Amino acid sequence: MMTALEIAKAVSSGEKTAEQITRESLAKIAELNPSINAFVEVFEADAIARAKEVDAKRARGEKLGALAGVPVAIKDNILYKGHKATCCSKMLENYVASYTSTVVEKLLAADAVIVGRANMDEFAMGSTNQTSVYGPVKNPVNLECVPGGSSGGSAAAVAAGMVPVALGTDTGGSVRQPAGFCGVVGIKPGYGRISRYGVIAFASSADQVGILTANVADSAKVLEVLAGKDVHDSTSLDAPVPQYADLFTDGLKGLKVGLPKGFLDGLHQDIKDRLNQAAARLKELGAELVDVEVPYAKYAAPCYYIITSAEASSNLGRYDGIRYGYADNEAKDLNAYYEGSRAPFGLEVKKRLIIGTYALTSERYEECFLKAMKVRELIREDFKKAFEKVDVLLTPTSPTTAFKLGQHDEDPLSLYLADLYTCQGNIGGLAGISVPFGKDEKGLPVGVQFYGPILKEEKILNAAYNLEKGL
Amino acid sequence: MEITKKDVELAAKLAKMRVSEQEAAVYQAQLEALFKWVAELSAVNTDAVQLTNVNHCAHLRADEAFSDLSRAAELRTAFDEEQDGYAKVKKVL
Repeated sequence: MMTALEIAKAVSSGEKTAEQITRESLAKIAELNPSINAFVEVFEADAIARAKEVDAKRARGEKLGALAGVPVAIKDNILYKGHKATCCSKMLENYVASYTSTVVEKLLAADAVIVGRANMDEFAMGSTNQTSVYGPVKNPVNLECVPGGSSGGSAAAVAAGMVPVALGTDTGGSVRQPAGFCGVVGIKPGYGRISRYGVIAFASSADQVGILTANVADSAKVLEVLAGKDVHDSTSLDAPVPQYADLFTDGLKGLKVGLPKGFLDGLHQDIKDRLNQAAARLKELGAELVDVEVPYAKYAAPCYYIITSAEASSNLGRYDGIRYGYADNEAKDLNAYYEGSRAPFGLEVKKRLIIGTYALTSERYEECFLKAMKVRELIREDFKKAFEKVDVLLTPTSPTTAFKLGQHDEDPLSLYLADLYTCQGNIGGLAGISVPFGKDEKGLPVGVQFYGPILKEEKILNAAYNLEKGL
Repeated sequence: MEITKKDVELAAKLAKMRVSEQEAAVYQAQLEALFKWVAELSAVNTDAVQLTNVNHCAHLRADEAFSDLSRAAELRTAFDEEQDGYAKVKKVL
């Protein structure tokens, strides 16, 4: 499939129509989705109508937006008025969005075409896309493997060439880890860079909207469209949005790249090799490699599971059959009503709500929740100090490449460790991008990750752009 | 950190969720492994740490009178059942 930038150019110039592009995308989805299960719903009629509107706009001589005619998939936790948004959960199986999220508003204003909602782990809790009520997503590179998660459908849709752009959300790596597993680019901007208005909450201090594309330049363009202050989201940052692609440089002279000490310990050899090769390539491109210490970063994963589960136990309290979600109309009293109405949550969601509730009990609050919050402060301080010395950090995206479906079902803790390198970005509020860099011995994609400080997305985009260019 | 089945059942109850005996046993084992891992945090000295990212402003926000009812009818179409402008739910008390 053409890239988003190529499509926008072709549609704006009249070389292709938005309708042609949309029909090509829909045909690809019809062909591949039965085996990959990346989409849980395709907005076929809607997408074609929308594409015709874009074409009509051009016919009237009006200037088209930056994403003219670009087909986009949205994760099933992002609201688009009049369309279902279920978080791939039975709890919300009949929920229809009554308003449109800011990110979708911005995509539509840029003349993009929303073609459907992408599969995900239930309520974005998972890293394999196996907890979806619609069934697992298969990795397009190897159908026996997971695509990663929780934005597995979004990553798979881009990797399979169904769409050039997909939106995901990233609370602990849910955009970057599936991007790495599927061999596409995934960016999670810094906390507050993109509005979360109309995005169903999981853990409010970590949730961010992220972008999945086939190349870095497309990610840069979509970020330009989506970033910025939103009056509907008080956590969004009021800062100018650069034209990211204009800041791309030819080579990386002057860029200081930090290599965190100890990050290669215990890594799979293939990933270690790719990371070392990436570092060597960055040096060839003119970057200066600097060893940095972030000693508390190794504690990010346990902090992440306590803090996000605690926040989820609060955020998901709204699914009680009265405010939102399934209602158990057979219940005989109020407690039975609540318990019956919350029964449709899947096993992983229930488990995280139990973890979060337990960590917030008066007996465990200080020892678990408060402790995790304090260690989080130390981790943030670690990264702050590191970015006083370097511009970006280079890390693995994940400790492994994609693994077989069901492989870790009996040992969920090992799955939690899979977020080790990505959840540091959410706990630290950093900007992070995963870019494909070669393959392992089984032919599965390897992703490497760049971290940058908040509001410095241009640094990580430029580093990723240069690394990608050399491949 | 030892986690008992009773702990799991208590947390589930506080979260207004029902868990079966079998689920409680599975969760108990998984939570025990998780909290053992979380206990590694106790090795970190946090005595001098002050929390900076706690939102102290939320409770200071003034109440906002909501006067735009133009979308009320549209939003009410999402109700399964309605009475006098309110969503109707099953009587439970």
